[in-house]
Amino acid sequence: MNKIKIIESSFRILRRNKLNTFFMILGIVIGIAALSLTFSLGKSAEKQLTRKVKNLFNPNNILVTSGRVELESGRSSESSMTNLEIEDIEAIMNEVRGITMYDVIQATPERDVIFSNKNIPTAINGGMAEGEMVWRRSVISGEYFSKAEEKSSARVALIGTKIAKKLFEGSNPVGSQIRIGTVPFTVKGVLEERGIDPHGTDLDMNVIVPITTLMNRLMNVNYIAGAKFELEDASMTEEIAGKITSVLRERHSLNNNETNDFSIVTPVVVKEIIGKMNRVFTLFLPLISGIALLVGGVVIVVIMLMSVSRRVSEIGLRKALGARSQEIMFQFLIEAAVVSLFGGIIGLAIGLVGAGVFMSSMGLTFFIPWETILFGVLFPIIIGVLAGIIPARKAAKQDPIEALS
Amino acid sequence: MIQLKNISKIYGKDGQQVKALDNANISIAKGEFVAIVGASGSGKSTMMNILGMLDRPTSGEYYLENKEISTLTDDELAKIRNKKIGFVFQKFHLLPKTTAIENVELPLIYSDRKDIRKLAVDALAKVGLSNRGKHRTNELSGGQQQRVAIARALVNEPEVILGDEPTGNLDSKSGLEVVGVFQELNRSGKTIILITHSGEVAEHANRIIRIHDGKITEDYKVEKPLDARTELAELKKAIN
Repeated sequence: MNKIKIIESSFRILRRNKLNTFFMILGIVIGIAALSLTFSLGKSAEKQLTRKVKNLFNPNNILVTSGRVELESGRSSESSMTNLEIEDIEAIMNEVRGITMYDVIQATPERDVIFSNKNIPTAINGGMAEGEMVWRRSVISGEYFSKAEEKSSARVALIGTKIAKKLFEGSNPVGSQIRIGTVPFTVKGVLEERGIDPHGTDLDMNVIVPITTLMNRLMNVNYIAGAKFELEDASMTEEIAGKITSVLRERHSLNNNETNDFSIVTPVVVKEIIGKMNRVFTLFLPLISGIALLVGGVVIVVIMLMSVSRRVSEIGLRKALGARSQEIMFQFLIEAAVVSLFGGIIGLAIGLVGAGVFMSSMGLTFFIPWETILFGVLFPIIIGVLAGIIPARKAAKQDPIEALS
Repeated sequence: MIQLKNISKIYGKDGQQVKALDNANISIAKGEFVAIVGASGSGKSTMMNILGMLDRPTSGEYYLENKEISTLTDDELAKIRNKKIGFVFQKFHLLPKTTAIENVELPLIYSDRKDIRKLAVDALAKVGLSNRGKHRTNELSGGQQQRVAIARALVNEPEVILGDEPTGNLDSKSGLEVVGVFQELNRSGKTIILITHSGEVAEHANRIIRIHDGKITEDYKVEKPLDARTELAELKKAIN
């Protein structure tokens, strides 16, 4: 058999039956467009998320929080435990080797941040002077608060770029007096821009004050919410997490049958959370789109079955002139494959353009995963051939006499 | 070349059986021009389908070049049809909206021949349609369409050309032209089998086989076959 000639005649037939061809292509276009759109959006969101989480949490970080944290699809709902103290963290630093630095975590609920007649409610975070290194977030103007200011509960504050913009409207905030609630503070610096974190918190709305200032002057508490440790060696995280656990259990005098009254988050845990979220993006959404593609396949089956019935005489003629069953099948499979490949390419183009539009409007970086291209070409061919099998078999079984009479 | 031995074809289930062919025996030698003549319902279409290997007899044996073929598979028969038999149908059966040359190429697609286009061009030249190759079939007259179909039947150089009422849909002049092409092919050595209901068309053959009620009633040589060329020349004279 001359495959090229058969393929040529398949193209000719598809051109001749424009309406049929159009609907067959349309089904695949919709399916592949949806698939490539959701998949590249998902992948892009996943990439963004991973990068942001990495900003917050390096492989060599361990997070200790007070209370038991329920980690459900990336959100933590903390029970309000009040028994984690700065002394606990200092004890960890004394007893556990391999930790290079740390910062403690505590925050108020929303407080009014006031400058002249302007007022922005936002949560106030407390941290140590080391926070600049631990969180890898420095200032773009002014400077970070010093160890001395931290020790002396100085009334100094670092503010995010959005707070600066809203309160000071372009003028330099460094050195200005603001109030947090009723307490006056001096703006020490403006924090680097960070955008929105995976929990949906706008980090540019942050206000950070020394931890002692927060605890003594704003909250009047003696406990902290948690601490972030940075380790010398990322491969030691599980071992060090174990040691931290035993230090804290001993200090909190927990019996063997009592559960921890604190939580330890290691990169392994974070990875699990990210993995869970990614499954939503890259599995669930494309699965739904896959159903659209399947419908496209069914459309091909139906239209091609109609086409086979209409072309009985052509099939009979081809058989009379010497076409074997497999050659008739080949022709119809090629038709189905050509149609869906064509639909796939158009769908891919539409999907990727759509993804680009979505990505730019959602502030995601434009990015096309290589899998999308592969799926966009491979899936349609597979679907097309599968959809073509039933009509092609029907055509191949055609009796030439009936077809010619 | 072709030998049918005790061929019968029975249609329908028990009780309501129709014998389309009843113990038919035919032997056709290479280079013959045979007309198989019969009224409609005589069994000549069934004969055509069996001779063309489009259908299998209920009983009997079919030898093609001394090889029994009724036991072969459908695909094997398809390959033999492709190589050995050229079909010309009453309704032409050309692919619509397709050029003449592409129609002529059709049997070659299913063969292992190379230079398909060149062979198709040569075949069209043989039926005098060299200048019509790029025309779509629906732009051609009935006579031209049937000549395209003959070119298609010739293109794979088969031993036998099988015509099923090839003049049935043509006016008398186009019909004569087509019969003329068959006669010329026969002179160049092809075996021709023409199925027809028309006694006049049959008179152009060297041998006539008559079928009635599925039985062969007559089988005789034609002493002086009509010559389509001279008839056409006379027709032209009469018009002028």
